[in-house]
Parts: sequence; structure tokens; C-alpha cells
Amino acid sequence: MGRYVLRRVAQAVGMLFLVMFVLHLLTTLAIQLNGNPALAFFGDKIPSPAQVAAVEQRFGLDDPCYDQPGNPCLGPFVERLGQYAQGDLGTNLRGREVTDIVASAAPNTLRLFVMVTITWLVLGMVLGSVAARWRGSPSDHGIRLTSVLIDALPVFVLLLVYKEVVTVPLSGWAKETFGEDSWPPYWFKPSFDPEHPWATVAVPGILLGLAGSAAFIRLVRASQLDSYGGDHVRTARSKGLNEGRVVVHHVVRNSSIPVVTAVGLTFAEALSGAVITEGIMNIYGMGGVLWDAVQSSDVGLVLGIVTILTAVTVLVMIVVDIAYAALDPRIRYE
Amino acid sequence: MSEAASAATGNVAGAASRTLASDAWRSLRRRPDVIISGLIITFFVVMAAFPTLFTSVSPRHCVIGDAKIKPQGFGNEFPLGTDSFGCDTLAQLAHGSRPSLLLALVVVGTALVIGVTLGLLAGYYLGWVDFVVSRTVEVFLVIPYLLAAMLLLSLFKNVDLGSGTFTTIMLPAIVLTLFGWMGYARYVRASVLEAKNLDYVTAARALGASDLRIMFRHVLPNAIGPVTALVPTAIAGVIGAEAVLAFLGIGVRPPAISWGIMIENGSSWVLGGYPHMLLVPLAALLATVLSLVVLGDALRDALDPRLSA
Amino acid sequence: MRQARIATFAAGAAVVALTVAGCTPSDTVEDDGPVTLKLTIDQDMETLFPGDSGIADNIAILDVVYDGLVRYDPETKEPYNYVAESIESDDNTVWTIKIKPDLTFQNGEPVDAAAFARSWNYTAGHPELYSNYFFERFKGYEEMQDEIDDEGEVVKESPVEELSGLTVADDLTLEVELNAPFAGFATMLGYTGFYPVAQECLDDVEACAVKPIGNGPFQITEWDQGVSVDAERWADYTLDETPEDIDAINWREYAGASSWSDFEAGDLDVSYPPPADLAAAQEDPELSERLAEAPGAALTYIGFPLYEDGPWQDKEFRKAISMAIDRETIVDQLSGGLATPADSWVVPDGVPGGEAGTCEWCVFDPEAAKAALEKAGGWPDGETLTIGLSNDETEIEYFKAIGDSIEANLGIPYELKPNPDFSSVRSEQGFDGIFRNNWFPDYPLNENYLAFYAVGEEGAGNFGWYDKEFEDKLAEGDQAATLDEAVVKYQEAEAILAEEFPTIPFRFNAGAEYYSERLDDVVLDPFSGAVRVRALTVTE
Repeated sequence: MGRYVLRRVAQAVGMLFLVMFVLHLLTTLAIQLNGNPALAFFGDKIPSPAQVAAVEQRFGLDDPCYDQPGNPCLGPFVERLGQYAQGDLGTNLRGREVTDIVASAAPNTLRLFVMVTITWLVLGMVLGSVAARWRGSPSDHGIRLTSVLIDALPVFVLLLVYKEVVTVPLSGWAKETFGEDSWPPYWFKPSFDPEHPWATVAVPGILLGLAGSAAFIRLVRASQLDSYGGDHVRTARSKGLNEGRVVVHHVVRNSSIPVVTAVGLTFAEALSGAVITEGIMNIYGMGGVLWDAVQSSDVGLVLGIVTILTAVTVLVMIVVDIAYAALDPRIRYE
Repeated sequence: MSEAASAATGNVAGAASRTLASDAWRSLRRRPDVIISGLIITFFVVMAAFPTLFTSVSPRHCVIGDAKIKPQGFGNEFPLGTDSFGCDTLAQLAHGSRPSLLLALVVVGTALVIGVTLGLLAGYYLGWVDFVVSRTVEVFLVIPYLLAAMLLLSLFKNVDLGSGTFTTIMLPAIVLTLFGWMGYARYVRASVLEAKNLDYVTAARALGASDLRIMFRHVLPNAIGPVTALVPTAIAGVIGAEAVLAFLGIGVRPPAISWGIMIENGSSWVLGGYPHMLLVPLAALLATVLSLVVLGDALRDALDPRLSA
Repeated sequence: MRQARIATFAAGAAVVALTVAGCTPSDTVEDDGPVTLKLTIDQDMETLFPGDSGIADNIAILDVVYDGLVRYDPETKEPYNYVAESIESDDNTVWTIKIKPDLTFQNGEPVDAAAFARSWNYTAGHPELYSNYFFERFKGYEEMQDEIDDEGEVVKESPVEELSGLTVADDLTLEVELNAPFAGFATMLGYTGFYPVAQECLDDVEACAVKPIGNGPFQITEWDQGVSVDAERWADYTLDETPEDIDAINWREYAGASSWSDFEAGDLDVSYPPPADLAAAQEDPELSERLAEAPGAALTYIGFPLYEDGPWQDKEFRKAISMAIDRETIVDQLSGGLATPADSWVVPDGVPGGEAGTCEWCVFDPEAAKAALEKAGGWPDGETLTIGLSNDETEIEYFKAIGDSIEANLGIPYELKPNPDFSSVRSEQGFDGIFRNNWFPDYPLNENYLAFYAVGEEGAGNFGWYDKEFEDKLAEGDQAATLDEAVVKYQEAEAILAEEFPTIPFRFNAGAEYYSERLDDVVLDPFSGAVRVRALTVTE
């Protein structure tokens, strides 16, 4: 087990390095192709060469390699790695510490992910189990069709309609019914409130989770169907165990393995949804920050954030792998 | 002698897959949901192929003075109304179906070819080929494809490829394909591993059939079933992804049109009393995606013998 | 045992659910408590350092945190002395600025001549700061700049750290010498880049950029970057322009998201609806009473790549494009009341010297447009006209409509090229079709709308347009004896621009905001379009 973990960590470090290097190449190429982001600083003014030089230096883009398409800019990359090795993640273009940005953005995104994961787990386990248990029944078809319908509905439409149609009357109603100081008005606030982060992130998180739950429901249904057909279930039934016990003990439990794997991938997957959700609900989070960083060719910020994200994702995957071994007696890492 | 024997085994395998296919076809034909789905998809495919059958108006003819006209019904100037720029909604819907569907077809088609080939090679040869393919699959699986698409497309959105239908979808197509092939590779690899040791394959190999012949005549037909079932769902996924990319401004971009662009534009007007701007393209998208998923499910049920109990 | 593990998932979920329900809403507004004004800012603003603040948001915030030498009358747009006792000059080159006595910063340091000199010298010596270019007019600016070679590398750093044209005559008197006469100098002095800074601020500029030390009626207490800015009333404020009813201000950052739903839910004091909600807002009789409007000052205009060969080299072609655009209807359909069609290069009624109708060919006339296109030799077959613009959603909408108008009336197919690095493409002269431009004036004078066309040589600048006569007129204006005479010369320069027609005016932004029931005396700033917080009264 220990050796297995060690090997996974070594692989992870290698992958981290690979991802960082590829991203560095991509952002560098983007700057070389698209033009220098430093110039955007001047807007409509015509800067003097001295002003351009000073701003390039301030943005850390004064290395001439950024003006030569195809140049991999290894110098700045090695320099950056050196900084990372010392625990310094550097700054964004305008000199704000990356760690500072992540520290204020990450908690909100994590809250969002927690809500998404809960929604996925609850919907997936309940509806997936029902659909598998009564396979072919109207409820099975109903669940599958509804989940597909929600899945096909672009998530931004769901969020926009919620924000613009539902929130205002609902928060007004909640204020009248429960009073200004109570919780319900915050649940339905039209946008994120940094003073009440959990309450205001709950509904957007559930909606985002809802939109992505179809895949999860299918996953649970499919893996439970596999279990129902499996030898261990047949054996259990033939032993005369009652059906409830068979379902809970042999089917649901076994089907939780792929579900755990999928939860491990939630983090990365939900980030794409987070870009949209954070944008619409005005949540200051990682998705929005990363999105803006990419839009403004902010190499330092993109690399810093993706490094952190990849590190976390890989870590989560290792944890999931270990949980896997613990959950499934057939998997052993010697 | 060896020729005859391998031909014989080939026929056996061929016959097996043919019966599976015809069985599947027979069971699909009897399901009303499959028939309806098939009709809907055919309708939109015809629309994408021949948009002028449905409208004679150019989708690029937009007069701002005609903006935001509500649907007037068929037979009038603007049967489905106009959008906020005064473009005819019906013309946009008909012409917009092409980029949306073409993107999905190109992405899934290319991903299928790449995935099947790599999966086949990895499963058949194992060794270092398998190592390289499996590690690559893992790396790509870690990166969620929508996020990767967002990053890559916004970094390279200024790369100009031209303004034809095909070139406007080129960049999204490349990126979505890049992150869409892994599923097929894994499925095919697993089925190849299973099929490789079947008696008739061993027999074919013992009789000296070439690797290529074994792969395509004996191994692949076994693996193709579960992969075929994935295709409709994958197409649906790409159509949905196109809408999201359009919303973020990095997919197909105006003045080119696609269903995603229409939904993006319509979503800001749905509450201003002009719901048709959103509902028309959204209905088309939902109908297509839903049909594809129903078809995919039915196909899987029909092709996966373990489930057809 | 096995079930227990699954149960932990459920338990985890329950803990979260409890946390959601468990914390109490502690900071809700109490009726008798301090009055907090709730405003919004739009962009992801990066700094609050005066010399580096150039976007509408930090300008609006610093307006209540700092006091400038002059402030502007919302009606006449003329500057009047505020921190300055007097600003005088005999020749428009050497200016004497006297400062009111006994003013201090929020940390107790005096606001004196040295405080201004310190601020200006710092900004002039740091070309990476946004407001640096304002000091180009000061004597000694050139000497302060590092020497740069053609590659953009610094060859020699300048040892000079002070503007030679800036002297502290005594505690409360500043002497400024300009490179050349400039009648509009006093008008410039109310701009953010000319605010004074405390010594403590320069000692730690990074800290000061996040938490400024101002001399205005409000003090920044906390800026949670990307989320919100909080300010509190400064108890020791001595000058008179301060809103008596407001104890604190909270600016919520909405980078791209709409704040209208929050306004409707009663969580904001000021907001404006997105186009789809506008009709509903206008039809609400109660709400439409609470609308403040002001003509805006920002001009959006279309440029041609005159540095590239193409049909646009012919003035008739440029006229054709201009007359093919249905400004009136486009603005009417898309602006949601936040713009007016433009037919001049300087905003009419907005600034001294601004007059409507200076652009003869800014009228929608498809027939005349077609005739002009024919005269210019038509559009090459099979070519597509590209339209370069930034990545902004609103702009993409406007320019799609402009493109539609051109395509429908002239038969020229077009293609939009939105680009986040639009500005760099423009300054590198990288466009091969028409492109969007936007000018947000720094100070209220028609000269400010025209000066950037003076590029000094053939083929330079964003447009590759040069006209000696035009630049001479501007110089004449700068050297005029009085501001009024200067304005007339600048107007003559605008007339040359109108005749040569290198760019096409498209629209002026207009300011409009709906406000909450408790606000009164809501006036919008004529330049930024933001609510003038200092004039507000609040009734609870």
C-alpha cells in the first residue's frame, strides 16, 4: 500500500510538471500570436516607447522571447519553477499575489462544489437506484427522460431563468413570511453575498448539480443493473436473504465504487460549470478568475491557478484510489 | 487450406455480427420512441443539408428596423418572428442547424476513428503501445473537456481560419475532438482484450492470418457494438457543448449562426416579452438531443446482449 | 463496518447542511443603525492609487476618497476651485496654484504644496502608471524618462526624480511651468491623476493602492478585491461637499453580471436594467419616477486602417460606410436608453466647444451611400469587410448591427473579429478592415477629444492619419490667451477632421440610473455617468 501511494505521488508530480509545461507553452504562444497584453493597458491612448517598456516590465513580459513566435520562452519558465519551488506562486499581471487571489476565490468555489457534489450524490443514488430496481417500469423511463431533458438544457439557460424570474419574487416572499433577519431570504438572493456565503451559494450549487446529474444517475443505474445480474446477488438471493437487505448490502454498496470515482472527478468537471455559474450569480471564485486570466493572457495567474488545481485534482484522485481499495475487497495494492 | 479455414472462421464471425445487427434492427423497429426519434433526427438532418427547403430568406439579411417582431405564423413575412437584430428567426434556425450538426458529426466521427484505432492497437499489441495509449488516455481524462475547450479556444480565438461554414467550426471541432476520443479507446481496448482469446481468433492466428485481417475481420466486429451505442449520446453532448461555447463567446461567433448563438442571444430577451427568440432554437436543440439520447439508449439495449435479458 | 463508511458520506452532507442553516444572519441592516449606501462597480478594478486609476470605477470611488484642486459643476461642466484657493497664469505657461490652509490627509499629514508635488513627481517618474501621460505637458518630463532603444530595452536609466517645471514656492503655493502654453491647464487639475498623496502612501505604494490615504469625506476601510469595497465617513473632514446622511458606502463588484435583480430585491441603491428588462422598468410608473439621466461623454467611433492599402483610402468610401449605418435605429434598439447617436466628434453640450452636427455625413442615407460607394469604385468582389473590436458583449451587439446595416445597404459582406487584445492590435496598426474605437474624456474640454489625432508624422498613430493643418490648429488653441479663444481654435481643428473624415462618429454614451426609494437629489456625473455621491440625501 505504501509503495503504491509513493508510486502514485511520483506519477502525479510528473504529470503536474507536464501540465504546467504544456500550459506555459500554450500561454506563451498565445501572447506571441495575439499581441502583448501590456498594450491593452493603454486603451485608446498612444503610449510612448518608454511607457510601453515600463508597463511590459511591470507585467513581467519584458523578455524579448514574448515577441518571437515559436520561441518556447524557457528562461521565464525555469525562473517561474524556481519561484514555485520556494513556495512563491508569483503575481498576476497587475502585481496582486496569486496566493492572495486564490485564498479569496477558492473558498467560494469549494462551497459551490460541495453543493454540487451533494446534489449529485443524493439525486444519483436515489433516482439511479429507483430506476435500476424497477428497470423498464414507467418510473425508470420517467427518470431517464427527465434527467436527459435537464442534461440537454444548457445550464446557463437554467441559471438565467432562475436569477431573473424566480429570485426577486421568491426573496420578497421569504422576507415577508420569515422576516428580514431570517435565513430564507438569503437562500433566494439574486446574487452571491460575501457576508452569507453558504446561504447564497446553496441554490446556484443545487441548480448546477441538477444540470450535471444526468450522467450520474445513468452511472448509478448502469452499475446497479450490473450488480443485479451479478453472481454475488444471485447467491445472496438464493441464500434467502430478504430483498431489502440484498439491495442495500450487495447492490447499492457495490455500485458506490464507480460513484466514488466520479465524485473524484467532480472537482475538475464542475469547474467548467463554475465559470458560468460564477459569472451569472456574481460569485468571486476560481472559475471566474481563471476565465478572466485566460481572456487577458495573464500567464502568471493561469499557470499559478492551474498548478494548484491540478495538484488538488491529483491529490483527490489518489485519495479516491485509496478509498476504492478500502471499499472493494477485490482491489488490493500489494 | 489455410485460406479456406480462415475464410470459414471469418464467415462465422461475420454471420454472428450480422445476426446481432439484424436482431438489434428488428427490435429497434418495433419501438415507437425509436421511430419518433428517428423521424425527428431525419428532419433536422434534412434541414441542415438543405436549409433553403425551409426558408427562402438569407439568414444574413438583418434589418435593424424589423427587430423583435413576434412570430406571425406561417405564410407571413416572419413566420417565427425576428431576433433583436431584425434577422428572420426561421432563416436563422434552418441555416443555424448546419454548423451545430456538422460540428457534432465531425467531432464524433473523428474521435471515433482515433479512439477505435488506438484502442484496437493498444488491446491487440499490448506492451509499450498499450502503455503509451493508456497513459495518454489517463492524462486526457484528468482534464475535463469543457474546461480544456474553454482554455484552448480563448487562447487561440484570434487564429483566423476564414469564414466558411466548415472553417468557423474548425477550431471548436479540433479542440472537442482532442478531448473526446478517450471513451472509445477504452471501450475498444477492453473488448479487444476479451475477443482476442476467443477460440476462433486463436484459430485464425494459428492458421497464419495477418494481424490486420484478424483485427478487422474478427476482433473489431465484437467491439463495435458497445461503441456504436455511445455515438448518439456523444453527438448530443457535442451539440450541447456548442451552445455553452457560444454563450462564452468562444465557439461559433456572430455574424455566423448556429443554434448555440441563437440560444445565447435569445436568453437575454426571454423575459423582455420575446420568449420566441429563446424557445425556437431551444426547442430544436432539445428535440434533437433528446432523440439522440433515446436512440442511444435503445441501441445499447439492443446491442448489449447482457442487458437484453 | 462497511455500511458505516457509506454513512460517513451522508454524515458529511448533514454537517454541511447544518452549517448552511446554522450560521445566523448577523449583519442585516437595522433601521436605526448607520446608513450604508449600496452601490455597484462593473469591472474587475486593480488599484486605487490615484496616479494609476483610469477606469470609471476607481475614478468614481476615489471621487469621494480624495479631494482635488478643482471639482466640476454638473450643470455647466466648468471647473471651480475646491482644494485650490486660486489657480492663475499670465501666459498660460507658468501657473501659480495656491492651496487652502489647514487641510489634512486622513492620517493627519498636511495637504500642502509638497503633497501635490510629491504625487505629481511620482506619477511623472513612473511611466508604467496610467496617469503618467498627463505630465507630458510639464517642463522636465522628458528628462525624467529612461532612455529606450528600438527593441524597447532600457539603455540608460534617468537619474532625475523631479519635474524641473514643478516648484514648491512656499507651504501652500505651487509653481508649474509647462513646455508650451495650454489654456486648459486648470481644467485638467480635477482629474484623478492630479490628486495629492500622503508621504505614508508613497512609503508603501502597494498598501496604498489597496487602502488609500485620502483627503476626502470618506475613508476606505476594506477592499476585498474582486468582491466589494467598503468606505466609512471620515469624521474630521472640514470642507463642505459631503453627504450628511451617509455614514458608510459599500460598492459591490459585478464583473460582467447584471445587478438589476439585486436592485429589484431591494439590496442595492442604484442600478440600471439590462435591455430585456428595460421596457418593464419604464412601464412601472412608480419606478420611472426614480430615474436619473445625464448626457454621457464617451464617444464610440469607427476607424479605418489608413496605413493599409484598400478602398478606405478613398474618402468617398468612408462616406459610404458612414451613411449606410442606421445610427438612430441601432441605438434605439440596442442601447436600452444608454446611448445617443453621434454626429460630431466632441460630445455636444457635454464639454466646452462641443457642438452637434459637425459631421455632415453622419446621416443615414442609403441612396447617397450607394452613390458614394460607386464613386469610390465599389467594393472588390468576393472580399469580406472585417470589423475589429474588443471582446465586450455590448460592443459585439452594436457592431453586428453596424455590419448588418452595411451589408444590407451596400451589399458588402462583413465579419466580426472580437479580440481581447484588441488595443494592442490597434496600436501595432494590425487591422485590415474597419475597427471600433472608444474615447472616454479625461477632462471636460473639446481639446481632449482631438489631441490624440495629433501624431506628429505621416502614417503614425492608431489610424495612420496625419494632417499638418489639423495639428497646427490644435497648437494654436493651446497657445491661445484665454480658454474661450482656445475652444474656438479647437473647434476649427474639429472642422478639419470633419472634412478629411478619417474616422466615423457612431454614438455617445448616456448615463441613466434607477435609484432606491430612500435616495433623493440624485445627480449623475457628466463624465463617468456614475451617481454623484457627494450630492445625495437619504431619507429612511
